[in-house]
Amino acid sequence: MSLKPFSRARAVHLMLVYTGGCNGCDIEIVNCVLSPKFDIEQYKVFLTWNPREADVLVVTGPVTKLNEKPLKEIYESIPNPKAVIAAGSCALMGGVYKNIHGDIPSEEIMGPVENIIPVDAKVPGCAVRPEDILSGVVATLPKLLEAD
Amino acid sequence: MTEENKPVKQEVIETEVAMGTVHPAALEPYRVRLFVEDEIVMDAEITIGVNHRGIERIMEGLPVEKANALTEKVCGICSNAHIWNSVLTAEKGLGIEVPERSNYIRIIMGELERLHSHFLFLGHGNEVLGHETFSMRVFYLRETVMELLRMIGGNRVQYGASIIGGVRPRCEIDEMRTQKILEGMDTLEKGILDFADRFVLDPMVKSRTEGIGVITQKQAKELEVTGPTLRATGIAQDLRVTMKEYEDFDFDIITMDDGDVRSNLLMRALEIPESIKIIRQAVKNLPKGPILDRSWEMFDCDSIKSYIEVPRGTLYHSYAIEEGRVRGSIIRTPSMSNIGAMQTACIGDHVTDAQLCIVQCDPCFTCTDRAIKVIKI
Amino acid sequence: MSTITIVYSVLGVICTLILALIVGTFLPGFERKYIQARIQQRIGPPTTSPGIIAPIKFFFKENISPNSPVPSLYKSLPIVCFIVVLLILLALTPQMYFFGALASIIAIVGFLKVEKVAYVLMGSLSKSVMSLGLSFPDTVKGAAHPNTEKVYLEDISSNRAFRMIAFGSFPFYLALFIPVTITGSIFLGDIVAYQQANGPFIFTLAGFIGAIVFFIGYMILLNEYPFNILKSKADVIEGCYMEYASKYRSFVYLTKGFLMFTLGALFSVLFIGIPPNIFSWGIIVNILVAFIFSILMGVMSAFSPVFTYRQFYPVVISSSLLGVLALAIGLL
Repeated sequence: MSLKPFSRARAVHLMLVYTGGCNGCDIEIVNCVLSPKFDIEQYKVFLTWNPREADVLVVTGPVTKLNEKPLKEIYESIPNPKAVIAAGSCALMGGVYKNIHGDIPSEEIMGPVENIIPVDAKVPGCAVRPEDILSGVVATLPKLLEAD
Repeated sequence: MTEENKPVKQEVIETEVAMGTVHPAALEPYRVRLFVEDEIVMDAEITIGVNHRGIERIMEGLPVEKANALTEKVCGICSNAHIWNSVLTAEKGLGIEVPERSNYIRIIMGELERLHSHFLFLGHGNEVLGHETFSMRVFYLRETVMELLRMIGGNRVQYGASIIGGVRPRCEIDEMRTQKILEGMDTLEKGILDFADRFVLDPMVKSRTEGIGVITQKQAKELEVTGPTLRATGIAQDLRVTMKEYEDFDFDIITMDDGDVRSNLLMRALEIPESIKIIRQAVKNLPKGPILDRSWEMFDCDSIKSYIEVPRGTLYHSYAIEEGRVRGSIIRTPSMSNIGAMQTACIGDHVTDAQLCIVQCDPCFTCTDRAIKVIKI
Repeated sequence: MSTITIVYSVLGVICTLILALIVGTFLPGFERKYIQARIQQRIGPPTTSPGIIAPIKFFFKENISPNSPVPSLYKSLPIVCFIVVLLILLALTPQMYFFGALASIIAIVGFLKVEKVAYVLMGSLSKSVMSLGLSFPDTVKGAAHPNTEKVYLEDISSNRAFRMIAFGSFPFYLALFIPVTITGSIFLGDIVAYQQANGPFIFTLAGFIGAIVFFIGYMILLNEYPFNILKSKADVIEGCYMEYASKYRSFVYLTKGFLMFTLGALFSVLFIGIPPNIFSWGIIVNILVAFIFSILMGVMSAFSPVFTYRQFYPVVISSSLLGVLALAIGLL
């Protein structure tokens, strides 16, 4: 194993962008990093709030209209290689907000996240479980490791 | 804040600092514009609307049961409070008497949720304060509540406990669950009292929080502040005293005098033992009998209103029922009326304290995102 | 002076620097895992991750051009900081004492000033996408004060760095001059020689007070937790470092650990009288001091919130007064 994938697997910086869900996922994810019970740092994953430092972008929420451009801007300012995790059912398919009224198009919701930025891993759940976020990060690792 | 009572004139303001929509000190997307002079906040403007998902609009025309389930998705922190109040609204209109046991289970869920919300507030508040250790300790305690909620509701965040006529059968509290709840309450009581002792005695935290973000009683009344933020200014107002669901329970209303960050944080820390007291009473006196009454009939009724006390203050739901469907839904969440307090609290403090002053009012903008402007009444 | 001596001293200096770099990379991880995480009752990251693996990882990331009016200057600043720290350590090694002016307290104060000025420049040159960069329609009709001048978060950080130059580093510089008053010489060689003859300063009253003042100054200089108003998460997120990516960020990471070791070595030169030299057992004292300082700092930062100016001024004033007291005792 060369130094490049070795180092990438041992320090993953994770950034969270909330795009207007119900707050449940955000708290579960931030909590999963912060609380000593899950303590994501022991798996060499660090929480950061600076896109220039991040490797993995976790997006929660169905991407409301006002959040579409900020999300794109944050995604673009992350240097390569980068990966995106869509966490929670809102981020996966717009959630209850986009789908409860059937085929009527929603004016508020621009999501799901896939419509705006490319997604590498999808973590289901309403709200996501902290354990699942960890497995989501693990699922994006091959992409990070194999990139130049 | 309206044009008339702006405390500072336009010409003094030097620079504007915008924070959000993504910022480490905020758990939710919102924009705050701080008008700063020499790092002292002169005026603040909170812009919400980032989270607008149009829940009241999509509730229009949904079957009542489905609409109730949707209200739970208004907020991820006080999800149970929303579904409870929405169900209460329908029950009020349709004249349904819920079984006594289901009422007790609803109260247990409501109080557990208050616990988890207050713990989240304390953890987040300490994180914004920059005290990582306190925040870790509080988040560790919070996991006990989350486990209890997961055990009763089946999920860590959205439990959907209440339905029209009672609670869902999976939320039945049996012998084993009772035991676990009581054990959890013992752990929490010990933990929170230890934390409160440490918090009170820490001189550095004291100097960081005392006199910061003060909201006076007069301002609080003017801005129609509700909930613990109001109680932290010394006004003993709690809707739980007048709610008929809480009739059988004995608890105290906690008040603090100063209305600053310190009393807000302590306020929540001291409300936790009261909630634990209510849960213990509810578990001890849990009546026998069914938990769900399905023998009700749907009929049309005019706009129905319901108010309950949720972790952040007074929550208001109202809708009319027409052919089993929801018409004209209005939800007014407590953070909505607390936005004015958040803006006022920032003024006169350092930029580093500004986010703390916003956090002290326990904002939940996800709930609130249907307001356009805070109007002075 | 034979060529052998010169080769030996050059080799000694290079080996000392390499050892310092290696030890320095372990210090942030050590502090994070064994002190802070243990206090917070969790397992914490592996010791190597924050200090050494993360910089290597950043080294392999795509090199983007930062949002800055002068990208080339902005990018060069972390390298300048790194070189400054390198020069401080170089001045501390006993092989360099014959340089005279370079190996004196005045030179070290000058080098540290360069680092502080670099923070001001970094802050004013960085224009991050967070905050003001995020497009959000907030100055619409009806907004409060629509015509005010807008600043980036990093500009606040830059202002704070400027204030730090004015008052924040005061205790540290006072502490540096306590050995000077006792010895009567600004040259490191004389200070070391005096202590080797008369015993370490830390066991005298002036030296002990000086050590306390030095430690407070050390924490302010490293921008660690109670004193990290420059990059507090509650408002400026990461402050002046916001726009660094790839190689430049790895320099930022490396400089932190390296500076921790260098300041530890500075302490052991000034107050214990043992310079960092690979050829003597004294180097173990240097490493030990660096680790003890990071342990103390970890404990302090785990138990304190961020200080705003309201707490910062009293701390700086009282520690400066302590420093003046120590100076007075030293002069007597």
